[in-house]
Amino acid sequence: MQSQHLKQGIWFIALVLVQSLIFNHVHIAGYATPFVYVYFILSLKCDTPRNALLLWGFTLGLAVDIFSDTPGMNAAATTLLAFIRPWLLNLFMSHDNAGNECPCRHVMGLASFLGYAILGILIHHAVLLLLDTFSFFNWGMLLLKTVCSTALTTICVLITDTMQKQR
Amino acid sequence: MRNLFDFLLKYSHCFLFVLLEVVCFVLLFRFNNYQASVYFTSANRVCGTIYEISGDIAGYFHLQSVNDSLTDRNLDLEREVATLRTALTEMTRDSARTDSLTEASLADFTRIKARVVNNTLHRADNFITIDRGNADSIRPEMGVVCGNGVIGIVGKTTPHYALVISLLNSKSNISCKIKSSGYFGYLRWDGKDARYTYLYDLPRHAECHPGDTIVTSGYSAIFPEGLMVGVVENIEDSHDGLSYLLKVRLSADFGRVRDVRVIARKGMDEFKTLTTINE
Repeated sequence: MQSQHLKQGIWFIALVLVQSLIFNHVHIAGYATPFVYVYFILSLKCDTPRNALLLWGFTLGLAVDIFSDTPGMNAAATTLLAFIRPWLLNLFMSHDNAGNECPCRHVMGLASFLGYAILGILIHHAVLLLLDTFSFFNWGMLLLKTVCSTALTTICVLITDTMQKQR
Repeated sequence: MRNLFDFLLKYSHCFLFVLLEVVCFVLLFRFNNYQASVYFTSANRVCGTIYEISGDIAGYFHLQSVNDSLTDRNLDLEREVATLRTALTEMTRDSARTDSLTEASLADFTRIKARVVNNTLHRADNFITIDRGNADSIRPEMGVVCGNGVIGIVGKTTPHYALVISLLNSKSNISCKIKSSGYFGYLRWDGKDARYTYLYDLPRHAECHPGDTIVTSGYSAIFPEGLMVGVVENIEDSHDGLSYLLKVRLSADFGRVRDVRVIARKGMDEFKTLTTINE
């Protein structure tokens, strides 16, 4: 139990640092930026209480915000993702294996995990980028950015997921 | 009563969600006029230190190109100094007087060296964090320049770091003029390409051509007159058709800016009190 919390804490710090030091500076063609830190929320255990999920989401978003000078932006999007995660899991996970497991490729199967990840990431990115481009409102640009970033983040999340299970 | 309690407990996550989102939006929308919010940015101690370390490491990879551009710049300036010196000796034999004039124009401004520890390019509102703060007598509303041109204006400061509102920020608003003709407008970014920005409100009768140099106008206390900003790329009509809109290629490369100078006008406080009295 103790080691579980420790591991979670290390993941948290590692994802925030990796996001702010590396991925925040990736802008493929000026449109696609991966927000890999959402993997933390996606991969929390299925039986995590809802309130805990929300607090994790808020803290994670705020930590990323502080590093990237966007107070409230990532926090708002990540809290929303944490809020809708139980419904997303219901949608894509069969009920017999929803226990003490983490939602990952091996537990859910590739197709369900992909669906779960893509939908979650899409909603998160749509909110995040909407808040970001608020002052220069432009539907086409927003849509393009959201789709490109979602694709990129999904790929990164899949890679992270595979790497974590191999360890 | 118990039912109410049960109800609240059952839907506690909904209330928590709403509460957290409200906190987020308060942070988001009050960021600019809420002074303590500087601790929610990368100008706080922990973030600053981490970014400084990562910036130190990344900095080594750019040394070559930074050196190259500095050498180029140095050569240009040396040549310019040489030509100006010959011109000056030809024009005036009384060198004592011109020396004192140059000193007088520079004496107004102090320059403080600083290094960029964090920088963004692709957001709608970009900020730069530098490694000097209150303790190094940096205050909000001081100008920030690099070797090639203007970078931005100091927005918020902590004891050891400062958050700079870069030119690539929707809230940045700098008065600039065309160097050759003197017509002025204000500079604002459109949120798209980090290499270009726009000069608004240039009068219809102003003469301007692609390739003209844009410099600071010196109409505010922040920047002295004549600091390089960029070069006119092309000329369009503004959206209301009443003025020109110039697309300006920025002379500073925001993608790899590293060593900057914070410039402060002596007697800035005096100037400010004067303008507030005036209002």
